[in-house]
Amino acid sequence: MFSATFAQTRQVTGKVTGVNNQVVASASIKVKASNLATITNADGTFSLKAPNGSFVLQVSSIGYESKEVAVSASQSIVNVSLAEQSTDLNEVVVTALGIKREKKSLTYASQQLAGEEIRRAAGPNFMEALSGKVAGIDIKVSASGVGGSTKAVLRGARSLSGTSEALYVIDGVPMVNNKGAQPGSYGGNDRGDGLSSINPADIETVNVLRGANASILYGSQGANGVILITTKKGKAGKTVVDFNSSTVFEQVTGIPDLQFDYGTVGGDLNWSKTKGNYQKNYVNDFFQTGTIATNSINVSGGNNQTTAYFSYSNITSKGAMPTNTYGKNTITLNQSTKLFNDKITLSSNVIFANEKSYNRPGAGYYNNPLTGLYTFARDKDFASYKENYQVFDQGRNLYKQSWYSTYEFQNNPYFELNNNSKLATNNRVIANLKLSYDIMNHVKFETRANIDYNDVLYDNRYAAGGNSVSVSPNGSWSYTKYKDQAVYADGILSYNNNFGNLSVTGLLGASYQNNTFNDGMNVANGTVSLQYPNFFSFSNMPYNVIFNSTISKTVKQGVFASANIGYKEVLFLDVSARNDWASTLALTGNQSYLYPAFGLSAVISQMIQLPEAISYLKVRASNSQTGNEVPFNVVNPWNSIGGAGGPSGIGGINRNSQVPFTNLNPEIITSNELGTDIKFFNGRLGFDFTYYNSVSTNQFLSLAAPSGSGYSSYFVNAGKIVNKGFELTIDAQPFRTDNFAWSTNINLSRNQNEIVELIASNPNYQVGGDDEGFASIIKAGGSFQDLYIFKFNRNSAGQIILSPAGVPTKAATQVKVGNVNPDLIAGWNHNLTYKNFFASVLINGKFGGVAFSKTEAFLDSYGASQRSADARLNATIPINAVSSTGTAVTSIDPVLYYSSIGDRNKIMEPYVFSRTNVRLGQLAFGYNLKINKASFLIKDASFSLVARNLFFFYKEAPFDPEQSMSTANGMQSNDVFSMPSTRSVGFNVKLTF
Amino acid sequence: MKKILFASLFLIALVSCTEEFEKINQNPNQISDQLLKQDFNLVGSPFSGMLLNLFGGQIEEDLLHDSWMGYMNTPTDFVGNVNNTTYYIRWNSFWGRTYNNVMSPSKQVIRLAEENKLPLFATWAKLIRIMSISKLSAYHGPVIYSNYGATTPTINYDKESDLYDQFFKQLDEIQSDFAANKAYTGFTKFDPSYKGSIPAWMKLVNSMRLRLAMRLSKVNPALAKAQGEKAMADPAGLINTNSENFLVSLNGNIMPVAQICWQWDDTRMGGPIESFLVGLKDNRISKYFTPVSDVSLAADHPAYPYKGIRNGAYCVAKADKVPYSKVSNDFNSAQTRRGFTASEVAFLKAEAALRGWAGAGSAEANYRNGVKLSFEDWGAGGVDAYLADATSKPIDYVDPKDPRNSNKAASTITVAWNESDNLELKLEKIITQKYLNTFTNTLEAWVDFRRTGYPKIPPVAKNDSSPDWGIIPVGEFIKRMPFINAERTGNAAGVADAVSKMGSGAKDDIATRLYFDTGVKSNF
Repeated sequence: MFSATFAQTRQVTGKVTGVNNQVVASASIKVKASNLATITNADGTFSLKAPNGSFVLQVSSIGYESKEVAVSASQSIVNVSLAEQSTDLNEVVVTALGIKREKKSLTYASQQLAGEEIRRAAGPNFMEALSGKVAGIDIKVSASGVGGSTKAVLRGARSLSGTSEALYVIDGVPMVNNKGAQPGSYGGNDRGDGLSSINPADIETVNVLRGANASILYGSQGANGVILITTKKGKAGKTVVDFNSSTVFEQVTGIPDLQFDYGTVGGDLNWSKTKGNYQKNYVNDFFQTGTIATNSINVSGGNNQTTAYFSYSNITSKGAMPTNTYGKNTITLNQSTKLFNDKITLSSNVIFANEKSYNRPGAGYYNNPLTGLYTFARDKDFASYKENYQVFDQGRNLYKQSWYSTYEFQNNPYFELNNNSKLATNNRVIANLKLSYDIMNHVKFETRANIDYNDVLYDNRYAAGGNSVSVSPNGSWSYTKYKDQAVYADGILSYNNNFGNLSVTGLLGASYQNNTFNDGMNVANGTVSLQYPNFFSFSNMPYNVIFNSTISKTVKQGVFASANIGYKEVLFLDVSARNDWASTLALTGNQSYLYPAFGLSAVISQMIQLPEAISYLKVRASNSQTGNEVPFNVVNPWNSIGGAGGPSGIGGINRNSQVPFTNLNPEIITSNELGTDIKFFNGRLGFDFTYYNSVSTNQFLSLAAPSGSGYSSYFVNAGKIVNKGFELTIDAQPFRTDNFAWSTNINLSRNQNEIVELIASNPNYQVGGDDEGFASIIKAGGSFQDLYIFKFNRNSAGQIILSPAGVPTKAATQVKVGNVNPDLIAGWNHNLTYKNFFASVLINGKFGGVAFSKTEAFLDSYGASQRSADARLNATIPINAVSSTGTAVTSIDPVLYYSSIGDRNKIMEPYVFSRTNVRLGQLAFGYNLKINKASFLIKDASFSLVARNLFFFYKEAPFDPEQSMSTANGMQSNDVFSMPSTRSVGFNVKLTF
Repeated sequence: MKKILFASLFLIALVSCTEEFEKINQNPNQISDQLLKQDFNLVGSPFSGMLLNLFGGQIEEDLLHDSWMGYMNTPTDFVGNVNNTTYYIRWNSFWGRTYNNVMSPSKQVIRLAEENKLPLFATWAKLIRIMSISKLSAYHGPVIYSNYGATTPTINYDKESDLYDQFFKQLDEIQSDFAANKAYTGFTKFDPSYKGSIPAWMKLVNSMRLRLAMRLSKVNPALAKAQGEKAMADPAGLINTNSENFLVSLNGNIMPVAQICWQWDDTRMGGPIESFLVGLKDNRISKYFTPVSDVSLAADHPAYPYKGIRNGAYCVAKADKVPYSKVSNDFNSAQTRRGFTASEVAFLKAEAALRGWAGAGSAEANYRNGVKLSFEDWGAGGVDAYLADATSKPIDYVDPKDPRNSNKAASTITVAWNESDNLELKLEKIITQKYLNTFTNTLEAWVDFRRTGYPKIPPVAKNDSSPDWGIIPVGEFIKRMPFINAERTGNAAGVADAVSKMGSGAKDDIATRLYFDTGVKSNF
């Protein structure tokens, strides 16, 4: 059945150029109606095995009009000049199914960003670079600095038990993003996520699929949208070496507004009303200038048979928080070989990443240097606590913390930094093998196997003699070690053919996923004392500390089929379906579930005559369903061992008291979207608009069982959560001359979330609850993460009711004051070039939503805020209140006022702010040096100055609400003594050899 | 075509196996019933956990009756100094602990005991249920007991009088089961309290019966007398010596009061108990508490360098009262806590004697024995001088940091027994000593206080009771804990029914009296 059409071959070479004779690298070169193809290398040249006789060469590249060139039988050199793309008519993009397809045939929204754009600001986190450059994505970055985690949500949160975060896919294989623990009100450290293993220098393109369309290939993981990462590959031709070096300096800008004029009454709270002359700079001096040095080298090359790409990168960073360091090494090796007359392509990719972070800044009350730093008693000598952060305890013959306060959340900041070490390391390998086999004309078989293995360690050691609330008298040790392992394999049989006006692409596939997460152990003695002080070893654990084994396992198998039928290349229909079998639904009888998807797109501009200004118009619609399995081990869990049971006894068994749930169903998410791409003036102005609506039903909910039922908890399938909104991208090239070009792009999106119903029979059911005065609640009739707090207790006239002691009283119940999610997300991006100079400017904005600062609440109630000093200077605070006897009160003593509100969980009304903020997110300015002399070792050089988070055009909250203390579901837009935001400025050098 | 077939077979191979799913979805770190059958662990292993959960921690005891009865109080101005300690309910969690950690596992244990033909384990579990539910009912009044495990949407609570009837009847059954199996050794491995001794548990059964009978001494004197006499007459006997005390293993956990005090700095000695211990020159003070390092705090009685915090105190800043007396450092190394002591039995018998119950013996002998047993149990010396002291009286309490918290001594009793005292005064002495003995096991002291009005302690300094949870008039004391919110919303009809079972005019608030709290001042 082998086709023998191109039995004999010859070599054709050539060069592809674009505007002004610039070379076009990575252009796709293909012999029409065959599988003979290659791509151009960095200098635009290519060499291709071509059939004898005449043929047609198809040349395409992103940003250029595709071109077909007839090649005669005698021609061996083919130089092709491509016109810059005026419409995206034939733009090729990576689809949800991991295959490349013309963008016009897509029935859903997709936005692509080049790797260059991501690396522009030399940030170590590639996701942060997406913020504002892609529509419809809400990105929050952990305040913990380099190596910290990210939360990226497309089209709103929908999962009550999960994070609703997008799936990351590298070269077609889903990537593990098993996020570590996150800080809460009481403390903790960001334990990072799987994304930091990616070396930004390896990224060729990032494609954002906002809808659930990729779930046909990836199953439920695709339901929250997909970030498709295509990595750089080796190219046939000359060997190219790229060297990139950047150094970025970070400075703290978001320190709260503190007072240093008023000291304490009684030595702890700064409530003196008499001004003193105290140290003022110790907070600013506490932080240091952070540095992030990134160096990477990529080597790529190959021949027609085999191509290879190698890269190494290193990040060495010192945080703005003293003693915080981070280091990362990444090695990537990628090769692709064609075998058996190019019928088989075998490619492999290996990524190795090693990360080590030390004293990554945390948040929350305990073991956080910032609590003690900010609330420090102004009339005491900070320098002495800095130098003598520990004192020798004669009674114990060891050093203990030197600190004056009895408030349990306070530590000596330097004791915390120097004596309590927090180490996190991970070693990760992602390796995959891909085989592509042209079985016969029109039929292709592809199979991929991937293993993602990560070895993770968190080792936190707290010295003896520290804070007695959080640390045992002999010290505390929290040790977690586990591996994450994900095995992924798929096979896809595809068929591609044209029948007259009809083009047909069909595929049939199967996938297998076996995920084992958190496979390891943890142990933490907490406040149960270690046997011997400051020795952190298993052998030093007291008998009554439990060593926990941990694991979570899921096996999922799926089969899927999809067909794309095109009519005259202007009308496209997509039909697909997937069936999954999930191990977590075993025993329910529902472990197998099917979900379909449909889509339609039409290129109107090629169907009917439109006004000349409109150069391109496409409309699209799609509907997809996704089934989502339930978490591991919830259907019928067994019993656990309750503890050590005394030095001689046995530990009791905690019997599982959850109602067995054998009728559990998968969650179903139905999404619809409608969109249009429209381009004007030969493509110089373009709009891409999408309206979507997604409905999640059958959510997996946990409930406390009624007291009398005999059980403690049970699960139900219930709920209906609707997300709807729009995304709009506007692209424009207002100026384009030979020397000067300005292109700009605006991304806007809005998501509206509605919790239509959770449990119909229990309308008060809610997910989430009060967390120390901050309640982020999901409840029927509201939206995801509505913020509830205690307001002032007011009478019907709106006056604050004072207690007999004259203190403002708190309302009886918490009320909703807003939602933490923004109403509108906007980004405005500019790229300018003038001759060899280039510049890029990004303005980021989030509009609407609320943010909450527990930090400010603390600072006010401990007299540490500038606000409390200003009020003391005025001696009074105006207030619209009424006394307990009913007389109007118009002013109140500042000390009385501030010490009765705020704090951990008092009246929080004054600490809710608008999340709205607009910032100069990114600025880069540089020069490209083109070296045309062949004798020169360096072919290309570029130098740029880069800056991130330079300043805010507008911000109401006293902290950066886009920096998150936690990237988990709760605590969003909440600040509890998290690391203040930073501004980064640096330079970037790129050399190509 | 063959190649396509092969490719298709490959695809099928990827998804061919789903039989293993059930195994994959099991957590290998959980233990199965199958494995637990070995050594009969299946039925016996939940007991140590159920026993421990007869007690609560910070938000079930320390900030509730430990504070209300003046044993301990918090230096921390929790929730703006408006919380359970000042009669505004913020924490109400003993209910959940009881149902999730005692009732739910005991239901499984009773079923497994029957399935595995180990019926005496079911008997044992039923006894633990009575101990647990009789405590819970002392917080709330009506609770879910006979209808526990029902599948109806509304689950009705048991009326208190019905509860006690059931308790007594079930104690009869339990005692006869135990009596028929005195030599049974099956509990040994699972019983941290009595190492599986059935005769020891039988003493606890009788002691429980006496405790529950005494609760009813005013509201149903006839039943109380009958059950009390039955308890005292049972051949198995009562807990009469300290070696027979019912001690509950902490299962390797730190004693809650030690953790709350030493690690969290959230609890300190109570003002009312300072007034008694210092005033009566009670040597148990050093066994319960730690002297203050700043002796100026105890300037009002430097010979006893201890300082407590008034019940329902005003708290301006935590730092003010952190230097007050901690609990004794001994509690940091405690392995067990007291559940029922011989001293309590002696005081129960002393009261029974006052009430003329047969078999109680003399009130004086029991009173003196109770005090001696208590001193012996706590390791305090000088009990003879203490018992002979007819002059020392409770002292006024002085808060050196905040005079709003200071109070005149509410009680004027002495320790020495005086046979010519009237019944009321004798009872006050008995209950006061019973109160001083039962440190760290304070729920029954709250029951006695509501039942008899003794010991005489000052009302809260700061009373934040409001219509939200019910108003406690100035000078009055909290009467009960409200039902939990989850029940109010999730089992509203059941709660409404329960409220009606508390009598006419009852409300689900903190001001409604429980069954044993008759509101009649006179005890005789």
